[in-house]
Amino acid sequence: MLAGSVGLAAGAATSLPFLVPRYDQVRCPSRSHVAILRAEEYSERLERDLLSGLRLFSLDLRGRSVLLKPNLVDFLPGVDINTHPLLVVAAAQCFLKLGAASVSVAEGPGHQRDTELVLSESGFRTLLDAQRIPFVDLNRDELVKTKLRADYTGLGHIWLPRTVLNTDFVVSMPKVKTHHWSGVTLSMKNLFGVVPGAKYGWPKNILHWRGIEPSIVDICATVPIHFVIADAIVAMEGNGPLAGSSRALGKVILTDDPVAADATCARLMGFAPERIAHIHETAKFLGNAAPELIDQLADPVTLPEMPFRTVPEFEYLRVR
Amino acid sequence: METTVHLKAMTSFDESRLFAYNRVVKDQSLQTSLRSALIERQMPDGGWSYWQASAQGDLEPTCLALLALRWDRSPARTRGLQFLLDTQNPNGSWPAFSGDDQEGSGLTALAVIALINSGEMALQTERGLKWLLNSKGKESHWLWKWKFRTSDTHVRFDPDKFGWPWMPGTCSWVIPTAFSIIALKQAFVCCKTDEISLRIRRGKEMLLDRACPGGGWNAGNGVVYGVPMASHLDATATALLALHGEEVDDVINSGLDWLERSVVTCSAPWSLAWSLLALDAYDRPVGSLADRLSDLSDPGLIRDSATLAAVILALDCVAQGNVFKVFA
Repeated sequence: MLAGSVGLAAGAATSLPFLVPRYDQVRCPSRSHVAILRAEEYSERLERDLLSGLRLFSLDLRGRSVLLKPNLVDFLPGVDINTHPLLVVAAAQCFLKLGAASVSVAEGPGHQRDTELVLSESGFRTLLDAQRIPFVDLNRDELVKTKLRADYTGLGHIWLPRTVLNTDFVVSMPKVKTHHWSGVTLSMKNLFGVVPGAKYGWPKNILHWRGIEPSIVDICATVPIHFVIADAIVAMEGNGPLAGSSRALGKVILTDDPVAADATCARLMGFAPERIAHIHETAKFLGNAAPELIDQLADPVTLPEMPFRTVPEFEYLRVR
Repeated sequence: METTVHLKAMTSFDESRLFAYNRVVKDQSLQTSLRSALIERQMPDGGWSYWQASAQGDLEPTCLALLALRWDRSPARTRGLQFLLDTQNPNGSWPAFSGDDQEGSGLTALAVIALINSGEMALQTERGLKWLLNSKGKESHWLWKWKFRTSDTHVRFDPDKFGWPWMPGTCSWVIPTAFSIIALKQAFVCCKTDEISLRIRRGKEMLLDRACPGGGWNAGNGVVYGVPMASHLDATATALLALHGEEVDDVINSGLDWLERSVVTCSAPWSLAWSLLALDAYDRPVGSLADRLSDLSDPGLIRDSATLAAVILALDCVAQGNVFKVFA
């Protein structure tokens, strides 16, 4: 439950206004594609459904390396805080079937230093070993100094894991959750996990001091997310990302645009994406949040009868 | 080596401890293979990286490896010490890895501990200690104290009680604070100046303040949005090592009990090793832990060199001494 560790100083700059554009260039695709798949439970059937969903996209993965970045925070018995390992393993098998040369799973937990313990307790280790899928601890990888392609934090550069930078195709696999410091944690916030603990600590407190939302924007402007598979089969509402309540949504969201991913997930949660600062800002230069720019390839976006619960500070996100 | 074990065990005789330690220490082939694997992983520049595939020497595995090899006369140790000397920043801190920016890592204290226990490099150690004394969590500044007291109150903590951050310009956290306390206590066994005593006291207060309500520690937030947070084994163990020798209060006792209870199901070498080191420091029985850790100590399976070194330190802690055991 330690994710609250973002807390100290998190409020220091989380609401810095995005008054002036601070990105290097506009890179929005002309149109984005989203497939909302129905999936009521975590089961072996996921692989088949996921493969059908992925085939809706024109992905050419032949000979390419694929890195799956789940949201693997900690292990708390009975609490759904991580991207489910069955979904991650299913995704790995699908990408191999689609011709990927290699698929690995990588994560750098923000608070728990013993990544191997989280892997083991959460069931990831057994499943990954059984399928011979390699795992890379991004907290302890070799690092490369990388110039940020946006400047909302003032950091200028960041050290990033070589494994991430050398991968051809990065897939963000968030668990759809509310977040008590940033409103939501979706495919873009999930990239905090590529920021290495060995350099920035546990937690990566510098990102909180520079502002969580500005940090999300800077990181996502710099590390390309080529695809998103969001786990909303069982999501989290309330005091996320660790102490919230499970909320069954029964969906997996696939998309080729992280901004479209987060905007769509926000709508599925009953939130207005334009009220979420990092989605609002990245929609100016990184991807598409507007529904008219997003092609829905499977189920339509449906608002929930009741929006997800949030902590009081983020109730304004809810569409009433 | 076995003689040392017997002497240690007999000072506070506990048959279960003696039996278990003897089993571990007698298993010379395990000790030898772990050490050999660690030495083989040393990089050409003398440092150790977390992963063998990396070409970057990292501070944490290098320091832990030097501590694990502190009694060795191998060239590996000499080259490792030279790596530490070569990578010290101009301001006295250490970078997190070779080639890092030079502002200073939160694990600088671990480098100081490694140097102190090597019995050498007095000048570099002193420079590291000076940097440590100047490093403090951002909440120690009056402006941020005020903010955390008035508007940013979702995390329960007392900003008057501060320690050391992971990076300059950020808040205090458990791991860097615990290692800094250990470094200061080891460096100044007696004759502490007021400044040193104050920093140790503040650091201790910070650790006690940030404990989790259920016992033990995590990265540094015990309660967030009114919800008690869960503890972590390695953070708890490191905090307890730093607090060893202090008057045992409810927080320490509760942390020890939590650690003893929670480590029973742990099968991860890193957390097991740190738990063993902490429980050993407090003379709690660790025989079964040592057995379990030996069973998991296949150097071929422990890919992370920091973990490998921690395992050696834990399995050696009775025979070679517990390098993190400190007194007030």
